[in-house]
Amino acid sequence: MSPMIFQTALYASLVLCALGLAWRVSAWFRVRVGPDARAVTLSRRVAAVFQGIAATLASRRVFQIPGAFVLDVLLQRRLFANEKLRWFGHLLVVVGFTLLLLMHALWASVTVKLFQGYQPTLDPYLFLRNLFGTMILVGVALLLYGRWRRRTGLPQARRRIDAAFVALLAFVLVTGFLLEAHKIASPRAFYRMAEQFIGTTDAEKLMPLRALWASEFGVAFADLKTPIAPHLVQQGRELHRDACAFCHTPPASAFVSYPVAQILAPVSGLLDQVRADIWLLYLHVFACFLGLASLPFTLFFHVVTAPISLLVNAAAPQRELPGQTFPTPTLSSAVRASRRALALDACVRCGICDMRCSVAPLARYLGNPGLLPAHMLQATAALADGSLLRPGREAGALRAAEGAFLCTDCGRCTSRCPVGLDLADLWEAARGDLAAAGLPAPAQWVQARAALAWAESLEAGPGQYIFSAADAWSAPLSADRRTFSRCVQCQTCTNVCPVVAHSIDSEHGVDLTPQKVMNLLRLGLGDLTLGSRMVWDCASCYQCQEHCPEGIRVADIMLELRALAVHRLGAVRSLGERS
Amino acid sequence: MTGARRDSFDVAVIGAGMAGMAAALFAAERGLSCIQIGNGGSLLFASGLLDLLGVHPVAERRLWQSPYAALAALAREQPLHPLARVDAHSIRAAFESFVTALAAAGLAYAPLGERNRKLLTSIGTIKTTFGVPLSMVAGTGVLDARPPCLLVDFRGLREFSAAQIAATLGRSWPGLRHQRIEFPGCEGAPELYAAHLARALETRETRARTVALVQPLLGDAQAVGFPAVLGLARAREVHAAFEAGLGVPVFEIPTMPTSVPGLRLLSALEAMLSARGVRRRHQASVRALAFDAHAGTATLELEGISGGAGGERVFARAVVLATGRFTGRGLTADRGGVRESILGLPVHQPGSREAWHQRDFLDPSGHAINRAGLEIDDAWRPLGASGKPAWPRLYAVGSILAHQDWMRSKCGSGLAIATAWAAMDQVALALGGTGAG
Repeated sequence: MSPMIFQTALYASLVLCALGLAWRVSAWFRVRVGPDARAVTLSRRVAAVFQGIAATLASRRVFQIPGAFVLDVLLQRRLFANEKLRWFGHLLVVVGFTLLLLMHALWASVTVKLFQGYQPTLDPYLFLRNLFGTMILVGVALLLYGRWRRRTGLPQARRRIDAAFVALLAFVLVTGFLLEAHKIASPRAFYRMAEQFIGTTDAEKLMPLRALWASEFGVAFADLKTPIAPHLVQQGRELHRDACAFCHTPPASAFVSYPVAQILAPVSGLLDQVRADIWLLYLHVFACFLGLASLPFTLFFHVVTAPISLLVNAAAPQRELPGQTFPTPTLSSAVRASRRALALDACVRCGICDMRCSVAPLARYLGNPGLLPAHMLQATAALADGSLLRPGREAGALRAAEGAFLCTDCGRCTSRCPVGLDLADLWEAARGDLAAAGLPAPAQWVQARAALAWAESLEAGPGQYIFSAADAWSAPLSADRRTFSRCVQCQTCTNVCPVVAHSIDSEHGVDLTPQKVMNLLRLGLGDLTLGSRMVWDCASCYQCQEHCPEGIRVADIMLELRALAVHRLGAVRSLGERS
Repeated sequence: MTGARRDSFDVAVIGAGMAGMAAALFAAERGLSCIQIGNGGSLLFASGLLDLLGVHPVAERRLWQSPYAALAALAREQPLHPLARVDAHSIRAAFESFVTALAAAGLAYAPLGERNRKLLTSIGTIKTTFGVPLSMVAGTGVLDARPPCLLVDFRGLREFSAAQIAATLGRSWPGLRHQRIEFPGCEGAPELYAAHLARALETRETRARTVALVQPLLGDAQAVGFPAVLGLARAREVHAAFEAGLGVPVFEIPTMPTSVPGLRLLSALEAMLSARGVRRRHQASVRALAFDAHAGTATLELEGISGGAGGERVFARAVVLATGRFTGRGLTADRGGVRESILGLPVHQPGSREAWHQRDFLDPSGHAINRAGLEIDDAWRPLGASGKPAWPRLYAVGSILAHQDWMRSKCGSGLAIATAWAAMDQVALALGGTGAG
């Protein structure tokens, strides 16, 4: 490869990478997640981040950073606590990649300076290159296996570009191994070297050396008769010692490429003819440059974001962490906004949060992966860049909203995230944005209309309706007359209801009392209850149910009516209706 | 005697009405480990007044001043009546024990004595009863002497009208006045609920504002009557504050069920049983009951009223049925007749449905169906189809028993408390414990 092409491509990739990085990093100040973030100006956010850094550096917290760098960033303590297998896989990839980068890709500026007499064709470099490459392949395989093994039964959050990046990484490794294997087996490479170091390409003259290289170095000479006479090999050894041994050790230690070379042997002549050495090199190198140039936009970007996220956490945690010895600084909206934007970039979509999510069973039951944290994060990112609310994507937006509002804020995603993202804060912010975009919590959009208005729109829509046997699967209580037929309207439920007790003015108070809800159900007027404030303001304290002399499941019915309301009223709700 | 296993008990009481509560209390007082199964909600229909025996015979609607004299007459004339099976000594002991336990749980009663008391109701009629909560007892005095008296009600509280009481009694009680006031803090509310007012009055501010509203209306009144909404958990404190603030005796008038005194009674009974270590499964019912003749234990299979909790089993050496009649669902009526709901025990009942009721609904002698129930032997054990006890340690108490019409006799609480006491003596005897006698 001509140095000019190489240099040009390298610098072009570096420039693209730098521009991409600048663009992505600027997003941490530009992207707005959460209503509070919208109120903060760009300059305020930049200033707050630098003030925060300065304050941290000037405080005792700065001493936390080196420890966090070793434990969290290098040793991946949080991943270790989650899953040993994926931690090991990740470690293999990181170590293999780093060493391959330093020893092999940057050999001219690193290896040569550290080790005298470095040659890529000498041991231990020959062996190590194969070892590091294999580590990456095995590590990636372990990571993929870990992901597969812990699948939730719902589609996993992923971006196509991330899969493309993994494919590119595999492509680089495979072309690398193929290139090396081809060069081992290639007679053309042998003659090129012979011409350079011995001064001849005459096959007969080189016969002893060819015999040695064919038997011990794996070169696939098509014209060499087997078995090779041992005395020829012996003769070749002397020539080898003088001309070749300085740069070559037997390639059997290349434990991947050498077997591949033996497999390629029958076609190596053909490969020589089509100049496989050149185009494999081009593919290998340009795939690396492509990876470099696209780094800011692929999964690989987490090499930048994850350490930043982990170190920021160590220096300025958002909430009390176990074992923390100094007070938590309260974060301004400006800093919070930047950390949310960073979180969108730092997520590696490992799916560990999905695995730990306490509403995962609900997500499966509803068939809506939008409840799972990794999906919520993607939806939050889409909400921030506006793509979630694009016309024609209403279904996706509704699914995301359902997920966001069914999240119970249990915080397990946050506590388990290997990158240490404060996801709970992100969800809160996302819900605020969803509400502002006309996708508020069900309690809000339902209560934006009066119960009677809802009942009327139901009448106009899919037709008049009373709960029937068809609803028995989703509303087993409301559809079964026996549930409330025993109600004697004694008002006990109303008497013990703290929500009724609290609502003393008719404007904001409950519109129906619990016993009136039961009565409407009894009369087959269930639609009138769906949007009622009693149903939606019910605190589920179960006082009514515990006190009901007839053992009617009043509180359970209220819960069921809410679920039914989301389902039925959602169908006649005009989207984007502001509440 | 405590069961070795967490799910084994000396006694299982099925039912959480007045009789079930009394049975569980008396079991605990006799040192028996006890589990109670059933929803206590039916107690909310109670008025907080404890009747013993007010009317006998029912057909004559004869009111008695002395419940014990009435009991003696009942024993002579209706020996099958459950109350005729309990001696006066036991009844006194049972009532004393019951109100003492209630007082300890925060619901104080006036001293019981030997006589029935007369009490004003929310519609202006006069009720004869035996045990009266302290917060109502001043009303019995004014009813006898009829001094100038003020009745107060709250706008929006549908179940209580001071005007109606005054209209009914005004001719015979010239000093009886009535006033309607706005409940402080609920001035705009279209409708008020007694329990909410009771809770609101537990705050000092609401209390003071109410007293301040009534103060100028007092005039010459020597006592003030309110609907029974003066506090729930802190009723004693609220009542005392009203008397101190108004400077005259204050009495509550029981409201229509379900009422605040019913809530107070329920929570006091619950507190009373909890304090005595009675295990309560108040959100469950008994799905099946089986007896093992060899081991001498009963197996109760429970189900939660919310479903899902099915399959839980508890074991007991003795079982007390306190499931009530039709409203308590201890008895089930269908076209074929009446049967006991859990075990299908034979029920004493009229021969045919035509004989259930008299021709006249308000017939003073009552209806035959209102005397239906379980037949028992001398040890309070319900009889099976063969005429012998259905199981050696299965007992029945309260209104599920035959040969009584507690509503017309005004003997509901008496029936519950007295039969629970007597039956629990038999339980203790059978289990080898100490009878309190």
